This record gives sequence, structure tokens and C-alpha cells, in this order.
Amino acid sequence: MNALQVIVDGIVKRNPTFVLILGMCPTLGTTSSALTGMSMGLATMAVLICSNAAVSAIRNVVPDKVRIPVFITVIASFVTILQMVMQAWAPALYSSLGIFIPLIVVNCILLGRAEAFASRNSVLLSAADGIGIGAGFTLALTAIGLTREFLGTGAVFGAQIFDGRYGALLFILAPGAFIVLGLLIALFNYIKKR
Amino acid sequence: MLEYLAIIFSAILVNNIVFAQFLGICPFIGVSKNLDSAFGMGAAVTFVMAVATAVTWMLQHYILLPLGLGYVQTIAFILVIAVLVQMLEIIMKKSSPGLYAALGVFLPLITTNCAVLGVAIIVAQKNFEFFHSIVYAIATALGFTLALILFAGIRTRLALVDVPRPMRGVPIALISAGLLAMAFMGFSGM
Amino acid sequence: MKSNLKTMTISLTVLTVLAGAALGIVNFFTADPIAEAQLKAKKEALAAVLPQFDNDPYEQCTTVEGLSVYPAASEGQAVGAAVESFSDNGFGGRVTILFGFDIAGRAKGYSVLSHSETPGLGANMQTWFDDEGTSHNVIGTSVPLKVKADGGEIDAMAGATISSRAFVEALNKARSVFEKFTAQQ
Repeated sequence: MNALQVIVDGIVKRNPTFVLILGMCPTLGTTSSALTGMSMGLATMAVLICSNAAVSAIRNVVPDKVRIPVFITVIASFVTILQMVMQAWAPALYSSLGIFIPLIVVNCILLGRAEAFASRNSVLLSAADGIGIGAGFTLALTAIGLTREFLGTGAVFGAQIFDGRYGALLFILAPGAFIVLGLLIALFNYIKKR
Repeated sequence: MLEYLAIIFSAILVNNIVFAQFLGICPFIGVSKNLDSAFGMGAAVTFVMAVATAVTWMLQHYILLPLGLGYVQTIAFILVIAVLVQMLEIIMKKSSPGLYAALGVFLPLITTNCAVLGVAIIVAQKNFEFFHSIVYAIATALGFTLALILFAGIRTRLALVDVPRPMRGVPIALISAGLLAMAFMGFSGM
Repeated sequence: MKSNLKTMTISLTVLTVLAGAALGIVNFFTADPIAEAQLKAKKEALAAVLPQFDNDPYEQCTTVEGLSVYPAASEGQAVGAAVESFSDNGFGGRVTILFGFDIAGRAKGYSVLSHSETPGLGANMQTWFDDEGTSHNVIGTSVPLKVKADGGEIDAMAGATISSRAFVEALNKARSVFEKFTAQQ
């Protein structure tokens, strides 16, 4: 198992959104535009790389029974650091992602990767897993955001492609989030079968 | 009194936690395959959300804010919720085995239910008073339960339908949830 | 590693100390930038809605009827004030808007500070009411307003009459507070 293979697996074979179907709340809540979706993905990826590496580094000194509380504390510390850094140097982004930044703590992807991968592998491989899974998550959120923004407002990353008045508003509202995600997972399944 | 009715109505229907705020989606998709587990999960979440909101409210107003430790809110809240869920599980096991048999299996899942931490943070952010917070937490949890039960009803029917292969399972569930969210949008602006 | 009371206590204690220390250090370095960023956002909003000023409206903030008023002055002369107003009747609940007025009581500009209106409909209020020469412009007006659906003169945003009403309500509230504020001076 080499680091590169782990990264590619994280994006395709173990894509957190389309295959593992984890972390649905930010996936639906922050993808009303491509930019917010991508920012949320990158924020999650930053925490995931750090928490995976840290969990892997301490994996041999943590008693089994308190494993989960230890992992949660590690993840929550990194999330809190991310919160402070974003508030200081990216306040506009921080307020546009809102409550979903502190809620990275309870994103099942992080605890799931800590338990399933980082607690069993070397620091390097765990960091690679964080990069791969994080990139897979970021790509998925960007794709969903892109689809919703384009269909809903006629823009791609804020650049107008067709007149916004002809956009189907439904797609940037709550129902559109569920429907676009459902269709994209179905598309991913369809392509994988072929 | 009227004020609290407005909070309850808004939290259950207008700003439904699942359909309008996108919190608690994982259990919403995961535990909605049949009605019984939907009821069980809903009851467990209601209980935990009320207790967790009360405890985190006191933590925020009597410890974190007076000490100027507002910045550790996220980590403090999640640890309190994790410990609380564990304690509830132990207490329930000892004191009421009946309740434990009904709700026990759902308890470990609740720690990572973002709706619980989400409500605790929303209440702290909006600076609600204590009683207001508790009413809000219970109403939100009832909204979650309502969403779960409605959705379980739809999914038991969906199981009988011949769905195209790539759409089976989660995709068709998400699209149904989208249609349900559309119905809930009818409540907004009221 | 084997779990017994000793190893569990030690590992949890060490972890808590480490996490606490890390957070304390990061807080030490970010506390000032965070405060600065928040202040800067507020000051930018004030600069955007007020006439040219050279005092510090933020420092001279007062409260009239529960709303914050930021007086602006240029070379010692009062030139207007900004009022942080709100309405609880938005489509998604409370809308908070900062309105700026010149000394004659004409609306000079506004900035939506927080809202939960529908994206693409009510959320358009951020620009909709600042469009000179149209029937939905409020900039330059100096009397209480109403939307057309209520027999007034302001065109509501398409499909978002409720949000438009909330906006106008917040504006009228800000205007009456501004008038009380100038009467006090």
C-alpha cells in the first residue's frame, strides 16, 4: 500500500459522499454555490489531514477503552483551532459557512477515518488518507454546488452563463439540495456499473 | 404563552431541522427504514436534546462566558454531550431496563448526531434565555421526530416499488426527501 | 495498548492538558485579529451607508428606543447618522439592516447585516432597494414608506412581498429613531 494509491482510493473507490455516503449535513447545507461547497470541503480536508496524522501518531499509547473520547477530543481541538484561524483571517467565509464549521466535529467522516484507518496505519499513510478522502469530499461538494448554482442562478463560480431570471430557483432552495445529491449519487452508481 | 407557541410552530414546521436546516441527516437516512425504529430514535433524540441543551446552556452562561473561555465552546460542548450520552446509557440500564431496551441501541449513535450539537450551538449563538432554550430544543427534536416518521412511512412504501438499479437505496430516498422538503416549504412565511 | 485505570487516567489527562495548551496558544495569537476583523466589518458597513465623515461613529454609538445609533460628523458638524434596525417579520425570521441618513433625514444607504431570507427571492433585498431612478428605490426618500401591495409607492421584490414588507418596516423604524435622535441633539 503506497501513499499515492491511498489518495486515489480516497477520491474514487472510497469517495465519502458518493460511495460511503457520510457527512450528509454539510453536503446539503453548504452547497448552494460552487464556492461555498468547495470552501467547506477544503476546511473539512484541513481538519481531516491533521486529525488523521495526530490520531496515527498517538495510536500506540492510547488505551483501547478510551479510544473514542480521545479521538473526539483530538478532532474537536483541530476544529476549534480552525474556527479561530478562520474568524481572524477569513471572517466573511466563516460567516457564510456558519454553523457548519463547528459541526465538522460531528462529521462522521472524521471519526470514521480515525477509527477505520488512522488508528491502524502509519502517520504518512494516514495523512495521505486524509488528503485523498478530503479531496474526494471537496470534489463532491464542488460538483453539487456547481450543479445547484448553475441550474438555480445560471452562474458558475459567480460568473453568469445565462440570465439568472431563467434559473430554476428550486435548485438553490432546500428541496434542490436533496434532489441534486440523489441524482448525482445515482449517476456515480451508473458510471461505476459500466 | 403565545410567544412559546410561535417558537414551537416555527421549530417543528417552518424551520424544520431536517428539511430547512440540514441537520441530523445521517440518522434521518439511516434509521428511517421502518416506523418502530423511527419512533425510538425520535424519542431518544428528544430526551438527549432537552438534557444536553440544559447542561450546555448552564456551561456556557455560568462557566465559559464568565471565565472568558468562549473560544473553547465547540470542544467543551461535544465532550459534555459525549459524557452525557454515556451517563444516560448507564443510568437507563440500571434504573429502567424497559426504556433501555427500547431506546438503548440508538444512544451511541446520538453523540455524532449533529442536530444535538447544532441546537446547543444555535441556542448559545442566539443568546436565548434558559426556558426559551429548552422549549426550542424540545420543539426542534419533535420536528426531527416528525420528519423521521413521515419519511419512514414513505420508505416502507418505496420498498415495494421497482426502482431503476442505480437509483435504489439512498438516491431515491434523497429524492423523496427533496419532495417532502418541498411540501414543508409551504409552511414558511407563515 | 492495555486499558486499566492508570493508563486511561494518564492518557486522558495528558491529552486534555495538550489540547488546552494548544487552544490557549492559538487563542493568544488570534484574539486580536478576530476583534480587529469584527470591528473592521462594522466600520466598513458604516462607511458604506453614511455621508463622508471624519469622526468615529462607532465610538460615539448611543441607544435610542433599543436601537443603536451611530452619529457621523465632518469637521465638527453633524452630517447624519446610521441606525441599526431590524424587523421580525421577514420570511425566515429576523432581518437586521444598518440604515444611513444624511442630516436632512434622507436615506443615504443601507447594508443588510443578517437575514435568513430565501436565496434568489427575499435575499435580493441586499441590492434591490438601492437602484436610483426606479420605483423600488428607497435611497433619497425622507418619509415613511409602504410597499405597493399595501397601497404605498415602493415596488416589492418579485415573489417576495413579505421580505419587502419587512425591509420597509425596518427602514421606517430606523427613520423614526433617527428623527427622535436628531430632535434630542
